[in-house]
Amino acid sequence: MLKYARWDGIVLEGKADKPVWIDVRNSQVKIRDCSSLSLWGNDTWECQKRIWRYVAGSGTYGDWIQPEGQDGDKTTQRPAVLATGPAGENLSRMACLIHDAGNGSGQGGFGAVWGSKNLKAISVIGTGSVHVNGPKALLEARIWQKKNYAFDLDDPETGRAPCVFERAPVQSAMWAGPPKSKSAKREEFFARPTEGQRPQACVGCHAGCRARFESGLGNEAHCLATLFYVDAKSLEIQRKATDLLNKYGLNAAEMTYSVLYLRDLHEFGILGPGMGIDCPLDFTDYGSFEFVEQFVKMVAYRNDGLGENSGFGDDITEGVIRAAKKWTRLNEDLRTGLLPFPHWGIPVHYDPRVELEWGYGSILGDRDINEHGFTSFFWDAAQTDFVGTKPETTAEEAVKIYTDKMVPFEGDPLMLDYSDENMYSEHIVKLVSWHRWYTRFWKQSALFCDWRWPDFMNLRAPGKIGSTGEAEPKFFNAVTGKDFTFSDGIELGKKMWNLDHAIWTLQGRHRDMVHFADYIYSEPVVGIYGVLKHLMPGKEDGKWDYFDYGARHIDRGKFEQFKSRFYTLQGWETTTGYPARSTLERLGLGYVADELKQCGKLGKG
Amino acid sequence: MKRLSEPGKDLISRVTNKVRFEDRLVGYRMRERAGAFRTTAYSFEEVVHLLEDKLPQLDLKHLEKWIRTVIRDEELADSIMESIDQGKSDLERMSRLRMMMAERLCQCKKAGSNKDNLTGV
Repeated sequence: MLKYARWDGIVLEGKADKPVWIDVRNSQVKIRDCSSLSLWGNDTWECQKRIWRYVAGSGTYGDWIQPEGQDGDKTTQRPAVLATGPAGENLSRMACLIHDAGNGSGQGGFGAVWGSKNLKAISVIGTGSVHVNGPKALLEARIWQKKNYAFDLDDPETGRAPCVFERAPVQSAMWAGPPKSKSAKREEFFARPTEGQRPQACVGCHAGCRARFESGLGNEAHCLATLFYVDAKSLEIQRKATDLLNKYGLNAAEMTYSVLYLRDLHEFGILGPGMGIDCPLDFTDYGSFEFVEQFVKMVAYRNDGLGENSGFGDDITEGVIRAAKKWTRLNEDLRTGLLPFPHWGIPVHYDPRVELEWGYGSILGDRDINEHGFTSFFWDAAQTDFVGTKPETTAEEAVKIYTDKMVPFEGDPLMLDYSDENMYSEHIVKLVSWHRWYTRFWKQSALFCDWRWPDFMNLRAPGKIGSTGEAEPKFFNAVTGKDFTFSDGIELGKKMWNLDHAIWTLQGRHRDMVHFADYIYSEPVVGIYGVLKHLMPGKEDGKWDYFDYGARHIDRGKFEQFKSRFYTLQGWETTTGYPARSTLERLGLGYVADELKQCGKLGKG
Repeated sequence: MKRLSEPGKDLISRVTNKVRFEDRLVGYRMRERAGAFRTTAYSFEEVVHLLEDKLPQLDLKHLEKWIRTVIRDEELADSIMESIDQGKSDLERMSRLRMMMAERLCQCKKAGSNKDNLTGV
């Protein structure tokens, strides 16, 4: 919508004296007081509704409106609103920004950043369009991609694991409550709601991985928000819990793991009403809606969740890492992994001890990367192993298909050798680098969907060779009219990655800070119970296969060596991790080198 | 599937109550966007719920030991051991275990709601 209003981005500086929202209608930009619509204090959904009514009246999609008044252009759209909820207003470090029902800017506490600026929402409506340089070429690209690489609705089972282009539409909700009744079919145990529903897709998507439901519960919810409160006593409670996150504006990943951690501490006998860590939550009611509602409100309002002051509420609102530190639990619980937050105070996602590109990419970046480009290896192996078979494609064949596309490192299959012997090697350095560079441009900037791209291996395509490398520039050039290659995108991604790293350096990043939580260096993935089989491709004794790497942890000393190799390949100073002038200048970032130098943070070289 | 004999009062109590922190059971729920999601079960019932998941990951030998030593249900532990040996895949093993454990849970809940008739241990 921002683009339809003819803007590329918004930069917010400073802070308002009182709560405001920003009203963008094409070129008109107004900073408005929240009080007339009573926005401040309301949840993200109510806030959006009030703004929609204010900007577009009481009509609905399909009705023509003139956002700039009677002399302005018309549109049938409604404003796109990004809002912070009560959690952001109360400066919770877990606060996020919400758009529509369940799109969250989750990690990083952006909701509280807005809260600190007294900014409740930004609403944008535009009557323009995105200029497409070659509409015919764009349509042809789409038809080509769908015809040759997409799922076949008449034969939808051809897709394999998640995160691949040919996968048939599957809702990405992860609710999985207990059976509704003893006689429930197995499918109902973990299946999506069975009520009336229809898919909901992002603009232009041929699949649609979210849903809207007849009851409205959990509408458009997806990803980790639907794993929150997995111990709910019913699917309905879990769906309502998901909605609470989105309405109050809270980060799903941290909330999901926080409630589990609190429960662990309770069962350990140290957290609860009147206990060592005096927590007002009644754990005898764990699994109920009342319990989770109180927990969410506690984090959103910085109190006991029932409206009374609470030191515990204040602690947990600061995020679970800071709370654990205050409770003198942090070191111990990061050492054992009871608190599974491996990097930057963010919860585990795909485990860094096995999914190396994920873990290394996260710790060398600034957040959980949340980029699934290589996780289909894990899924292909895990799913087939579970039913007693093997992946349709051998590890060797799959690795070749993938790595042949990874320019400028193409043709090095050892980039996907996850074995113990190879896990700190220069090959893995290349894997992590490629992943950082590809995603910086083709995903984060050109906005190719993380759930479908890169299309490395595709079981519907001849030779199982997906469209990545050819498809991305085909779409990009059709829209922009440029003559851009896949490699150009990787190179631009490299530039962005270096710019990001320079910003982190200015903010204080040093090589010494780049380390995982202690448990990653001492505890195997399988933990004390030996439960998780974690199969990934590897080359052992000269042979490729899917091997179980769940029994390992990362070696601290060897990871330090890996970092040196990584910094060397990036062209950063190995002792500090600071970017070097020659590297930055080569990327057209000489001005960044100047600023780093002024701050005493320019690396040698 | 062999039918389990009726549980006694003590077994009902162990099956329907929570276990201590040190006796908790850890498994994983495999979810598309979350990867392997660690789940801690603090009761027999929570283990059953974990097994009801789409792609549960649980060390079945450890589960058998847990049933034998923590829940102290020798009969069920023996049946589980048999199922582990006979199952051709984790899917099959988990499926059998889920049914057995669900049956035991059902027995205990039913008997627990009718406490006056309980005599055994």
